[in-house]
Amino acid sequence: MSDTGPDDLKRLGARLEQVQQRKQSATQAPPTQMGIAFRFATELVAALVVGGAMGWGLDWLFGHFGFHTKPWLMIVFFLLGAAAGIRNVMRAANELNAQMAASNAPSVPNDEEN
Amino acid sequence: MAMHPMEQFEVKPLIEHPLFQIAHHPIYFTNQSLLMCIVVAAASLFLTLAVSGRRLVPSRMQSMAEVSYEFVANIIHSSAGEDGLKFFPFVFTLFIFVLFCNFFGMVPGSFTVTSQIAVTFALAAFVVLMVIIVGFMKHGLGFLKLFVPKAPIYLLFLLVPIEVISFLTRPISLSVRLFANMLAGHTMLAVFAGFVVMLGSAGGVLSVLSIAPMFLIVAIMLLEFLVAFLQAYVFAILTCIYLNEALHLHDHH
Repeated sequence: MSDTGPDDLKRLGARLEQVQQRKQSATQAPPTQMGIAFRFATELVAALVVGGAMGWGLDWLFGHFGFHTKPWLMIVFFLLGAAAGIRNVMRAANELNAQMAASNAPSVPNDEEN
Repeated sequence: MAMHPMEQFEVKPLIEHPLFQIAHHPIYFTNQSLLMCIVVAAASLFLTLAVSGRRLVPSRMQSMAEVSYEFVANIIHSSAGEDGLKFFPFVFTLFIFVLFCNFFGMVPGSFTVTSQIAVTFALAAFVVLMVIIVGFMKHGLGFLKLFVPKAPIYLLFLLVPIEVISFLTRPISLSVRLFANMLAGHTMLAVFAGFVVMLGSAGGVLSVLSIAPMFLIVAIMLLEFLVAFLQAYVFAILTCIYLNEALHLHDHH
């Protein structure tokens, strides 16, 4: 073909890019249902554990300096941990949504888009 | 019964005498250390031998090495951006180590290193520590802005602790996910294998039935290979996501 103009080249470039993108999204393995559920569960529980442990540690620390806060910081931080857990799950769900949108799969509807 | 399903996770010293002592704690060479040595040796051998030919048209081994290289490079590029590629050696080493540990654990009679929370937690703590160091090196004290979400000031005294806790859960959720997946899969395999032995030794019609859990084991084995790969992938991609946050702070939202 002798009439290969820059337009043809551009079109070829665009098509190559499309193929490349399709290939790339195919290599990104979509997480299994089990994997998603497991991820959310660990995020939630881990935050509770960390929150509780932090409160307990602070109580212990303050106890050494003569402040008797004994159960209260643990209770407060346990609740904060619960909040952090919810925050983690929300973040994980957003990440999954972005990942699935990138691979053109139907995503979980999100009515809180930014 | 002859075998307990959890017996496979027992760490036992292979050499009677401790290798050396750290603060009066004897350090043994265990079956876990042996498997780790094998994994490291196998991974380095595979990667060096595969690319030693340096052919333009790759051999099978070489293209396997190249595919794994590109796979990890793609993960980093898509989730941590261009400047995340500086951390390619780190993420690649992590990915290959976890992947090989998982796959070597699938060999019957061997030991799954990643089914020990001590191992996975050490890996995850290492990742988070590096994220913190990178964040402080790149942004200085500005890295602490990661813990301050955009919100009215009167809410911050509540939100900052929440963000700190949320950050601190990372090493735990990262390590627990890998460890629990491997533990659950291998326990399941052992339990079903126990069914085969129990049914087989029951005699009569029941002995014939022992073929059923056998088929189930084959199916679960295939699933476990998928899980072994997926967990290594998840570990790598989460490392990249955390790195991305340290590198770019909030601007990915």
